[in-house]
Parts: sequence; structure tokens; C-alpha cells
Amino acid sequence: MRILIVEDEQKTADYLSRGLGESGYAVEVARDGYDAQHYIEECEFDLIILDVMLPGLDGWQLLQLVRQRSQVPVLFLTARDAVEYRVKGLELGADDYLVKPFSFVELLARVRTLLRRSPPREREHFRVADLAMDVLRRRVTRQGERLALTNKEFALLELFLDREGEVLSRTYIASRVWQMNFDSDTNVVEVAVRRLRAKVDDPFPTKLIHTERGMGYVLEDRS
Amino acid sequence: MPALNSLATRLSLLFALVSTLLLGSIGTYLYHSLTREIAWRDDQMLHGRLERMEALLDDSESIAMLHQRPQLYANMLGNRDSLLWVLDSEGKVLIEVNPSNVPVPTLPMTPSVRFSDMPESIQARLAWHTLEQNGQPLTLVAGKLLNERNQMLAAYRLKLWVALVTGAFLAFLLGWGVSRQGLQPLRRLAEQTNRIDIRQLDRRLNVTGETEEINRLSQGLNRMLGRLEEGFSQLSRHSADMAHELRTPLTNLLGQTQHTLRRERSNLEYRQVLESNIEEYERLSRMIDSLLFLARTESPSSDISKERVDISELVTQLCDYFEGMAEDDNRTLINHTSGSVLANCDLLRTALANLIANALRHGRSGTPIRIYTKNVENQIELHIHNHGPVISPDDLSRVFERFYRCDPARSGVAGSGGLGLAIVRSIAQWHKGDVRVESDVEKGTTFTLLLSINDTH
Repeated sequence: MRILIVEDEQKTADYLSRGLGESGYAVEVARDGYDAQHYIEECEFDLIILDVMLPGLDGWQLLQLVRQRSQVPVLFLTARDAVEYRVKGLELGADDYLVKPFSFVELLARVRTLLRRSPPREREHFRVADLAMDVLRRRVTRQGERLALTNKEFALLELFLDREGEVLSRTYIASRVWQMNFDSDTNVVEVAVRRLRAKVDDPFPTKLIHTERGMGYVLEDRS
Repeated sequence: MPALNSLATRLSLLFALVSTLLLGSIGTYLYHSLTREIAWRDDQMLHGRLERMEALLDDSESIAMLHQRPQLYANMLGNRDSLLWVLDSEGKVLIEVNPSNVPVPTLPMTPSVRFSDMPESIQARLAWHTLEQNGQPLTLVAGKLLNERNQMLAAYRLKLWVALVTGAFLAFLLGWGVSRQGLQPLRRLAEQTNRIDIRQLDRRLNVTGETEEINRLSQGLNRMLGRLEEGFSQLSRHSADMAHELRTPLTNLLGQTQHTLRRERSNLEYRQVLESNIEEYERLSRMIDSLLFLARTESPSSDISKERVDISELVTQLCDYFEGMAEDDNRTLINHTSGSVLANCDLLRTALANLIANALRHGRSGTPIRIYTKNVENQIELHIHNHGPVISPDDLSRVFERFYRCDPARSGVAGSGGLGLAIVRSIAQWHKGDVRVESDVEKGTTFTLLLSINDTH
């Protein structure tokens, strides 16, 4: 998967390219608008991450350039979160936007979603280590033992299983499980995860839900 | 023209204009009255002269006799302005007094006395009538040259013009003086306001002994100064608080990172420092978000859409969200809300979330949190009630201020840095509503969000 990062701020560009590189993507970095134009015209990419404020051509112009050529997904990075900027970006054909400062986990999640493109198929069964979930019958078992989960706990576990191995940020979890699209400074998500762990992990020797301090939570079999 | 920008000049010009109009109309009226009066008297005089002439003709045996004694009537007429003709039916002059050699006019015969101005360019007034003398029609014509009269009127006109111009000029001068004098309080007010600068917003304009208008203006300006002072001191207080709040995480970041770099550490230690740093960054980021949020909702130009929001639905969603936290503390969230308001759903949700989180944070364990609505006239009151430590009256008035904390020692990483309730107030005000708090040992603490039901914003 080839990703083009258009970003003039050196440090941001560096960590983005390193981070995405470590996640297994082939990354090219353009430091200004003309550089980016050259890349867009010469090479094929699977995703373009575009900063709005750029020397040379700005993000809007580049986006129009991209849209004249292909339907490659474009993720906007913007320091301005005013609604009209988001709307303008999306109207011009951007697929998603992130407001600076964003967490890298968040960016990675968005990149994966964009690259997946086709809506994820609703899965009916999950299995990780000795944990099994039957979505339709709303049954969760571990070591064959039935776990009694509340609706929210079930939804949270389903999200973790669907995104197995991915670090999920608190805001992402809040928006997916409770449709709360605001950054709350409460520890609602921590509490919910702790309660889920008490049922899913605590009674069993193998722990599946892990805390990535400062980033979020991930469900995976690390044994 | 810059001079026209002066209020005194404008007023004096207006004075001058008004005086000119007034003096002009009076002058015109007087002039015309006089002219009419003089003309009437002249006509009377000519008429009298005709009558006397007629009498003379009646007394005399014949015209011929009169003709021989011209001195008689020449003396009688007396001056060089007078004209007199006696004409027969063919217009032949029988008797003539005509010192200025005016040509003999041709006039129609008329039994009654008629008046007319002399045709052509000669300025004279004529009166004539026709009578029978020995079976012969005779036309008597008496006249008066108007030169003298016109000269007199011209002199009068000139005087009027001079009076008019002088009057207007005097009105301008007097008006200017009076305006300057009258506007003196305004000048004093300007001097007073000039003395107030940003460091002396506590100064007020002195209003004693000024006229009513100036008094009212000064009071208005004083009230404005009061608001500015309040806003300004709030702003500087906010800036100081903000700098303090931002410095705390920055100090942690800087100190901790520098300390770690002083010597080689184990990987685990590096990791721990980085993880701790992330928490500080998140705290900074949240604070900036909150400040931006406040700036946006407080900006009058911000364009945020409104929709009809079902309160019960919204509170149910929030209760669902906070349920885990509440249960953890052995508490319940009781939702007794109903109704709907015209509001921005996201903003309202944020405000309610902050209030519920606040109630959870400060309420006593094991006590319920009740959320209920009350309809009062055109308003809907959203109450969030909890049992917990009483907020002191001093704190009650300040809990909605930015960065204000009842307990100065409590400033956890998790908190929004004392901005949560400020955001609630800002959201309430954006909706043209309000927020209140009551706290008491018996009844517990209640935060109330007041929103108008039919806001036509």
C-alpha cells in the first residue's frame, strides 16, 4: 500500500512517515505543493494524506488536481477546525479529515478505514484464543463458559473483536459505542473497559484486553 | 470641507440661514406693503386732481380762458413731476402742463375715472376720465412721473438688503458664539474621555452640574466603561489563569524529560516518561480545545445551526454513557425529563455531559443523581441534582468562571482545568438561556440550565 504524505512541517512529516512505515505502508513525503503535484502526476498511490496550508499549491488546489485524475482516497489534515473548512474539504472530494493535534492511533485507524474502503462486512462470529462471540445470538463464551454481558459491554467487546490487534483510542470507542462525538474529560471509557475486563479477563489466566498507556486499548492474544 | 464638520459652525450656519429667510420674508412683505400704500396714495392724489380740474372747468366759462391763464393751474400743481392734459375728442391738446415734455398719451374715452401706468418706457402714472363740456367730450388726464417714487423705493430696497446681509452675518457670529458656549460641556466631556486610557478604566466621567443631555450621555459612557473594565479585568484574569494552567503540564514535560535525559535509563523508564508525557500532551490539547470552544461559542458571529432537540432522548443517551461510571460508585442516574427545545444538539449535549460529569465527580457515593425538567412559562428548566458537599456562597457565584475551582488543591490530570462549567455557561448564553446553581445541606446541590422553548434565534 503506497501512501503519499503532503506536509510542510518537517517534524510532523517525519513522524508520520516513520509511523506509517512501521505499520507496513510504503510512504512518500512531499514537502510543498509543487513537489506534491509532481508525485500526483507521476505516481500511483492508494491513499493521500494532505495538509491544507502548504507552500506553493495549497491543499485545496492539490485536492482538485487529484480528483481530476483519480478517486484515490484523500485524508485531510487541518489545523483549523472551523466547520466551513471541513465542509469545503469534503465538498471538494476529500474522504475524511483530522484536526490537528490528532493522536497517531486515531490517524492509523482512519487510514485503515479508508484503505479498506468497502464497508466492513458485518461479522457474525468472532474467535480470539478461547473467547468466542456469536453476534446474532448475543452469546459470549470463554473456555466454553457463558459470560453475562450487558448491552454496552457486548457492543464494546464486539468493537474490540472487530478491530482485533488495533489500538483503539478513547474518543473512537466513545463515538462507536455511545455515539458520543465529543472529547469528554471523564473516565467513562476507562470504567467501561475495566468492567468489561472484570467479566472477560479477570477470571481467566490469559488476558486479552490490553491498555496502551496514553493511546488507548487493544484486544489481542499475546500468549 | 473640514470646517463644516464642526458642530458650532454648522449650528451658526443654520442660524444664519434661518435669519436670512426670516429677515428676507419680513423685508419683502414690508417693501410690498409700502409700494402698495404709496401707489394707492398717488392714485388718490391723481383722482383728487382730476376732480379739482373738473371743478375748475365747470367754474370757467371756457377752455380758452383757462388756456390763457396757465399759471393758475401750474402753480396749483406745484412741482415738475406733475402732468396735466385736457384733450378734445380728437386727442388734440387743449391745455397742457408737461415740464418733462412727456409725449401725449392716447387714451380711450371713459365716463368714470381710470388709472393706468404710462405705456412705453416712461415711468409715469396716469388717471383720466371724459366729461361733457358745452356738448363737447373733453378728456382730462392727470399724471405723475414716478422717478422720484422709484428712487425712494430703490433706496429702501437697498436698505433692506443691507439689513438682511448684516442680520445674517450677525446671526452667524452670534450663533457661533452661542453654539461654542452651549457646546462647552461637550468639549469638557471630550477632554474627560481623552484622559481615560487602558490603564485607567476605573476612572469615570464627572457628571455633576452638566446639562441633562450631557448627563445622560456621560452616564451611558460610564456604564460602557464599567462593562469594559469588567470585561478587561476578566480577560486579564483569564490570561493569567490560562498561562498558569498551561505552564503546569509544560513544566512537568520539560522537567521530567530533562531529568530523564541526564543519564542513560532503561527502556522501561524511557517508556514510562513518554507515556506520562502523552498524558500531559492530552491535557494541554484538551485545554486548548476547551478554550477554542469557549472562544467560538462566545463569538457573536459564530454560525452554529439549531434544531429541535428532544431532551428526554438526549438525557437518556447521556445516562447510558455515564451509567458505568455511576454504577461504579454505587449510584444511579434518574431521568425525569420531557419536552423539547430549539438548540444545537452537540452544544447542548456537551453542556449536559459536563453537568452530569460534575455531579458524578462531586456527589457523595451511593446517592442518586436526578435529572428532571420543569416548564416555567416559555422556558424549560433542566435540573441536575446531586447530594454532596455544600458549595459555599462565595464559591456559588464564581463556579461558572473560567479556571475557577472550589478546591484549589484539586487539579487532576483528568480535569478540564476548571473550564467545564464555564463551557456550560457559555453554551447556555449562546442559546440565550442561563445557568444557575443552588447548594444547601438539606436539599443538596442543583445545577439548572434554563432554555427558552420557542427560541426564534
